[in-house]
Amino acid sequence: MIDAIQAISVILILGITILIAKLIAPYIARVYNRAPSRLDKIVNPVENFIYKICSIDPSHSMGWKQYFLVGLLLNVAQMVIAFLILIFQGNLPLNPLGFHGLSWDLSLNTVISFGTNTNLQHYNGEATLSIFSQMTAIQFLQWTSAATGICMGIAFIRGFIVGSKNMGNFHVDFVRTITRILLPMCLTASVVFIVMGVPQTLNASTTVTTLQGTTQSILVGPVASLDSIMQLGTNGGGFYGANAAYPFMNPSPYSNVFMIALMLLLPTALIFVFGDLLGKKREARPLLWGAYILFGINLAIAFAPTIPLIAPGIETRIGGFMSSFYTVATTAATTGSVNSALSGMHPLTITSGFLGMFIQSIPGGKGIGMMYMVMYIIITVFIVGLMSGRTPEYLGIKITGRDVKLVMVSFLIHPIIILVPTVIAYASGAASAIGVGGNSVGYTQIFYEFTSAAANNGSDFLGASGNTPFFNIATAIVIFIGRFAPLAILLALSGSMIGRKRGGTSGLKTDSPIFTIVLVASIIILVVLTFFPFLALGPISSFFRGLTNGF
Amino acid sequence: MASDSEKASAPTKSNESAPGGLRSAFSRKVLVDSVVRLSPKSLLKNPVMFIVEIMFFIVAAMAIVPQAFVPVASPSLQVFYVEVAAILLITVWFSTLSDALAEQQAKSTAGALRKLETEVSSKRIVTEDWTRKIINLKSTQLRKDDLILIEKDDIVPLDADVLEGIAMVDESLVTGESAPVRKAPGDSLIGGSRVVSDNLTAKVTTNPGETFIDQMIKMVESSKRPKTPNEVAITTVLIGLTAIFTIIILALLGMSVTLGLGADLSVLIALYVCLLPTTIGALLPAIGLSGMSRLYKHKIIAKSGKAIETAGDTDVVLLDKTGTITVGNRRAIEFVPFEGYTEEDVGEAAFLSSWHDDTPEGRSILTLAHEKGFVPNELNSLALSEATPFSASTRTSGVKITNVGMRLPKGDKSGHDRLRIRRKSSTVSDESMASMLEPEINIIKGAPESIKKIVDPVPQNYDLIVEGISAAGETPIATARNGKAIGIIRLKDVLKEGIKEKIQALKMMGIRPVMITGDQPLTAKNIASEVGIEEFVAQAKPEDKFSIAKKEQAESRIVAMIGDGTNDAPALSAADVGLAMNSGTEAAKEAANMVDLESNPAKIIDVVMLGKQLLMTRGAVTAFSIANDIAKYFAIMPVLFSAAIPQLQALNVLQLGLKSAVLSALIFNAIIIPLLIPLAMRGIAFKPTSTMTLFLKNTLIYGVGGVIVPFIGIKLIDLLLVGVFHV
Amino acid sequence: MTENKEKISFKPIIGLALVSLLICGLLFPLVVTGIAQVFFPYQGNGEIVQLNGKPVGSNLIAQNFTMPFFFHARNDSASGVDPDITLKDAYSQITQINNATGISSAALTNIAEQNQEGTFWVFGTPYVNVLRVNLVLIKDYPSVYGNFSG
Repeated sequence: MIDAIQAISVILILGITILIAKLIAPYIARVYNRAPSRLDKIVNPVENFIYKICSIDPSHSMGWKQYFLVGLLLNVAQMVIAFLILIFQGNLPLNPLGFHGLSWDLSLNTVISFGTNTNLQHYNGEATLSIFSQMTAIQFLQWTSAATGICMGIAFIRGFIVGSKNMGNFHVDFVRTITRILLPMCLTASVVFIVMGVPQTLNASTTVTTLQGTTQSILVGPVASLDSIMQLGTNGGGFYGANAAYPFMNPSPYSNVFMIALMLLLPTALIFVFGDLLGKKREARPLLWGAYILFGINLAIAFAPTIPLIAPGIETRIGGFMSSFYTVATTAATTGSVNSALSGMHPLTITSGFLGMFIQSIPGGKGIGMMYMVMYIIITVFIVGLMSGRTPEYLGIKITGRDVKLVMVSFLIHPIIILVPTVIAYASGAASAIGVGGNSVGYTQIFYEFTSAAANNGSDFLGASGNTPFFNIATAIVIFIGRFAPLAILLALSGSMIGRKRGGTSGLKTDSPIFTIVLVASIIILVVLTFFPFLALGPISSFFRGLTNGF
Repeated sequence: MASDSEKASAPTKSNESAPGGLRSAFSRKVLVDSVVRLSPKSLLKNPVMFIVEIMFFIVAAMAIVPQAFVPVASPSLQVFYVEVAAILLITVWFSTLSDALAEQQAKSTAGALRKLETEVSSKRIVTEDWTRKIINLKSTQLRKDDLILIEKDDIVPLDADVLEGIAMVDESLVTGESAPVRKAPGDSLIGGSRVVSDNLTAKVTTNPGETFIDQMIKMVESSKRPKTPNEVAITTVLIGLTAIFTIIILALLGMSVTLGLGADLSVLIALYVCLLPTTIGALLPAIGLSGMSRLYKHKIIAKSGKAIETAGDTDVVLLDKTGTITVGNRRAIEFVPFEGYTEEDVGEAAFLSSWHDDTPEGRSILTLAHEKGFVPNELNSLALSEATPFSASTRTSGVKITNVGMRLPKGDKSGHDRLRIRRKSSTVSDESMASMLEPEINIIKGAPESIKKIVDPVPQNYDLIVEGISAAGETPIATARNGKAIGIIRLKDVLKEGIKEKIQALKMMGIRPVMITGDQPLTAKNIASEVGIEEFVAQAKPEDKFSIAKKEQAESRIVAMIGDGTNDAPALSAADVGLAMNSGTEAAKEAANMVDLESNPAKIIDVVMLGKQLLMTRGAVTAFSIANDIAKYFAIMPVLFSAAIPQLQALNVLQLGLKSAVLSALIFNAIIIPLLIPLAMRGIAFKPTSTMTLFLKNTLIYGVGGVIVPFIGIKLIDLLLVGVFHV
Repeated sequence: MTENKEKISFKPIIGLALVSLLICGLLFPLVVTGIAQVFFPYQGNGEIVQLNGKPVGSNLIAQNFTMPFFFHARNDSASGVDPDITLKDAYSQITQINNATGISSAALTNIAEQNQEGTFWVFGTPYVNVLRVNLVLIKDYPSVYGNFSG
């Protein structure tokens, strides 16, 4: 349980984050409407130069298929570049510690993981990657996958806008996301991180003689620039293996709060952008309240047990309470950075983490979480909407059999890509090969691994011990499908809304508090129905066995 | 014909529907049919139930040779497997029973409809060598545009339009209206009705097998019935859920085997079947079919299931004032004299002028005059009078009485006769002298504007009185006698019984009623506001309905309307829900997607309500079915891995025993199907209220209830099993 | 606006992949590095602490203190380099330091208390930075820690 002051601090942190998200949403909406801006003077020449050298026609607009394929192909091209950099790391510059190139399967896993905003890491960065790789493979993909996620979210919204004729131009959206949203935000956040004590240097280490006379290597690097995009882009992949538990990534209690706020900022802002771009601000309400009510329920589950001030796996400066809060936030926003060892968490906190990754939209990854929430809204509108005595409609559009089919398929992908590989991991002996047992503790680790991969979250128990061909390849496949299959389906759904007949206002009011409550209930029921037995085998059974941590 | 016990029930009062209807529906035929439907082949079109049957076969195999299924089965549980298999089979049977019941209900509907078109003999008229010949044919041999002769006591073989003759026709078989209807040239005849007097020559308007009744028969026979858009979408959800639960069960099986959790296959299958949306899967076809049957009990024939669903989505209802809101004819309520005349003067003139007027309005004038004792002395001269029928161009009608005073002389009222005040008590002599001087009485009544043109002088307060009456929403009819305006007959629209409440119900549900009338704006406004309608279109011609419907549709509204005339046809076909009157023309019936056999325009409102009820019933059973799964997890999950993970007993909130947990959940899952059959067939009860209130109410009852009810139900079954059967 | 339904040209894709590599993978981290090195060199290089002009460690990275006259860092911890211990942990080490150095428990308690951090509202558990508090010991008790001061 937490006390009142802790509860108030949680509400304050979330409240202020939501407020800032609401304030920046109109700016984001204008970026994609190509509205004039004060930044134009500086940014327009740069963007026009990029369009020119890349032969991009900014006036061209795309249907959903083209928009998605261009995004997918660009992401693949970026992954190929990063793959080559990781493989040939030993021959590339800025490698002061002389690391060798990575194995092909680890490289593949890493680029797919980072290129899809997942950031599952089967390596310890400080002992594996050169400064050059950290910048041009890791941070590079963190930027591009974040930008891609936002663009897909924006395109998705466009399909629902009354009178829209296409999904926009991916190239232009992508460039503008980087130049007008991510660059200014990340630059600001990086400077804040530096001031808080996060290093930013091209050196890899500083050697000192300790007070006791021994030699100590202090491992540094361009960490602040990574911290900013890692959190703002809901990436979650750390410079160090210990991720945000490492003091250089998260030096103080204050940087910890800053990190929580940063990872929730863009996913929440994109919810407001949904309402802004639609021209129906109220329609953002079920997404926002649905997300944060479920977030609150997750927090309540995580905070239900007694939270130790300090425990093995929890950093002193952060403490048990903020570690639990962070764990809930990082799974809810599918960021995946961790500020403590997951093995230090209570089974209920882990359960809460699972729920965040099952739902993927509380608020979920920026853009993507909003898309999933609309998917849940459509399922809910369909299943319960009939009870209002009308054909279910969302935003005035009647829900057809085809819409329901698309939504069901995108919902169905998630359990398949989590459950099938979990069974295979045990059946093939891959789990026991890395010393993970079949009891509730070991099973939780494997189940978590694939849940995190499927949800493009990236937090995990395995870490570098997951660096085996089976886990590298299996998670890469899960990650790839988990990212692009639902994206394609949801964009197809949105694309099919273009030009559809819009009904009046006498239907179900999706912007009403009643609907939000029903939405929350139906998400809980759907998720519980799908995953309850598997939670029961893992963290729930650990809980009933009386474990408090130690996964 | 549906039996009386299955009598239609309005959606607003569905409790009226007698459970006896269901009981009587149980017959040996239904039972046999339900067993025949158990064959896997016939189950294929219901994927959920098909899977349940496959699961039955697997558990049955486990019951017969448990050894073959080790390690996921144990021979010591053989009896348990028999029990599980039996319940699974019963589950499937409950579903086929529900289908068979709905089908039987539909068949009786179809049967009733077929009776309307039984093959009868007919007399076709052919002209050969300039002579008319009658050829006796079967009705099925007739074709559109054939001329037929229908004599007294003949059955009208097919829908037809009267060309010659006037006859009384008994339509009771078709419409339920017992009084014979008068049919004259231009009227349409319904196939299946019977001529009770005189002969008619008529032209066949449809080919056999192409009437709207045939379309309805096709619809209620489920094998030929296409799925409606909502049924398609719900089926998709059910298939999606089935896929999810299939993955879950396969993964649980895989984990149980690889992690050595020792789950029994029969328990896994029990969990699977419990999770599958069996309730809605079993009842979905019945809900759709019984929706059609309910509509037919309202004597409405729908040409497609989609039309009924669309009716539920209606945003705007265009209501014809006459026939829908008002009883279709005005009633005289007052005689208003002009300066210098009495009420009696006007009443008597009105009496005379209405004598030949056979319209309901004309009769109501006679009634009023008679009630007030204004029977004119010229009554007996009427036999020799000369009537001018109502002419649309002059908008007047009239009567000319010659030989006035031959028997009962009456005073001339055209002059400024001071004696007229005493007239009631006066002797005949004075006036008879005066009236003798008058050669004839010429009374004209009609639209005030028209009368104004033919009288001289126009009374000072003429316009004032006319406007006053119009402003009150009533209709003024001016009366003139021998070129002098004498007064106004005040006619009032009579509202249909219960129309106000129905319109209120529409508005509560967020549906906009729009009244359409040929009346003056003032009259229209008054009627509209009297029944609570804000929007109306006055001075509308039938052709205007089309543009009104189009205008609403352009704003993405779903439009429902009624019509009967040929000039309504374009609007009926443009409207999303078009209800044609059976008494209307063939063109109107063709264009509409529903036909009301009773020709009661106000039923458009019932159609909307029935559409809503159908959608709600489907949604409620779906939500209930899905919400049920939570309790089933809590019943079965703790025992599924009880050997390997005893700690999961902590989830056993219902405190169920190992076997009893599985059996109770399965029995609940099966028994809920027949328990909900009455709900599915009757439709859920609802009070007209706003969309959101309905949504909230039904969500609480069927959604939240769906979560809670199975916890209670499963525990009760468990208590029964443990207490009585010692499971 | 022109719409070309199915055709995808590869030149913009390859071009954009390379441009994004330059901007996001090189330009941005280098610019941030420049800002850090020019304006915040202390933080930018890892908060290296100096004693008598020599770097002796980082404020943010734990050192492996084993000698009994120092406060010791945790040896379980998520990152493995947790530079801090809780105030409670610090108090529990006072007897051992007192035994080794003779510095009074009261003085040691005072030093721990004076250097506690993380006391602002709920943002942390009161804790002390091990290196910082050990450096205080060296400064305050040169006679005891003479060996370590240079």
